[in-house]
Amino acid sequence: MMQLVIFLAVAVGLLVLLLVAMRRQPLHAAGSAGELVTAKRTLESLQLGLLPAELVDQIFGERDFAYVAAIGSNEIRSLFLSERKCLALTWIRRVRKQVAALKEFHVSRSRMFSQMSRWKELSLAFDFKALEVRCRVLQLLLLWRGPYAASGFARRTAAAAGRVCSILDQSLAFLTPSIPVSLGTESDADGWMV
Amino acid sequence: MSAKAKRPDVLAASADLRRRTLTHTSGSLDCMIYLASMRDYNTGLYVHQGLAARFSPEAASEALANCHRECFRELVSLELKDLTEQLDLYMRSTGTAPRDFLRSWKDLEPYRVAVPVGTDSLMAQFLFSNLKIALAILEHQHSRVPEPAPVA
Repeated sequence: MMQLVIFLAVAVGLLVLLLVAMRRQPLHAAGSAGELVTAKRTLESLQLGLLPAELVDQIFGERDFAYVAAIGSNEIRSLFLSERKCLALTWIRRVRKQVAALKEFHVSRSRMFSQMSRWKELSLAFDFKALEVRCRVLQLLLLWRGPYAASGFARRTAAAAGRVCSILDQSLAFLTPSIPVSLGTESDADGWMV
Repeated sequence: MSAKAKRPDVLAASADLRRRTLTHTSGSLDCMIYLASMRDYNTGLYVHQGLAARFSPEAASEALANCHRECFRELVSLELKDLTEQLDLYMRSTGTAPRDFLRSWKDLEPYRVAVPVGTDSLMAQFLFSNLKIALAILEHQHSRVPEPAPVA
């Protein structure tokens, strides 16, 4: 008889724990809403701020370099190359950081909100990994050989990041009406502002 | 563009500002520096008595901020060659001797405080970097041209 009472008490205790755990669900969902909005902003910051072809062209395009080369001053040429290298490295660091933030979101939270198939999820995880490797290689190339050694590779990396962003964007599309585009330009995931 | 910026009075104030004032500037650089000078550094708000009298202080401030952002975007999208030309034009329009202008711009970097609030740091860095190179180019060009001898 005593054993039965202990057994029932343990069962009731477990049931209470289960109910408590279930009641905590809304709190967790509320916390995730913030993460969703952050992910959406990071995505917008990448798509509108870092990946547009015009910006990539401005950083890696060779017209400015041709203009500087035509001036014929080694001092100005070195200044230009060092400035562009610095800019290109800042760009790739920010792309890497934001891609890592999106990957983190995708791995930890996206399954709760998107209707993605397992296959698509796996494919996206692979895309993220490939993109991380690309970004790292590009960063090393920029450090080692300067901004114009890998301009084609930089453009392809930006395009690959753009593709991953659009896939992720589809899974966060339900947030679009509630978040104005301007939010993405006010502050990015790094919180870097002037 | 925010919903606030689409207010009809702000749009009208922006159009008025472009028509009456900004058309007289020598280019986007001149325009950006002029608009930055309209900003109160303590409050971040833009002040223009004439525009505020015609519209309202809020609409005027918002219109000036919009035009400032617009000038900045135009400036960032310029090629280095065009930016150097704009800087040269601006330098001539100030009436300062090129050597003095170039020295003070290199030392003080006044353009750093001329960008609109909320500008993305990479875009600002891009403009600062291009201006630094443009200054070096102008300095190089002016070092090859002898200064005119003072008239007795």
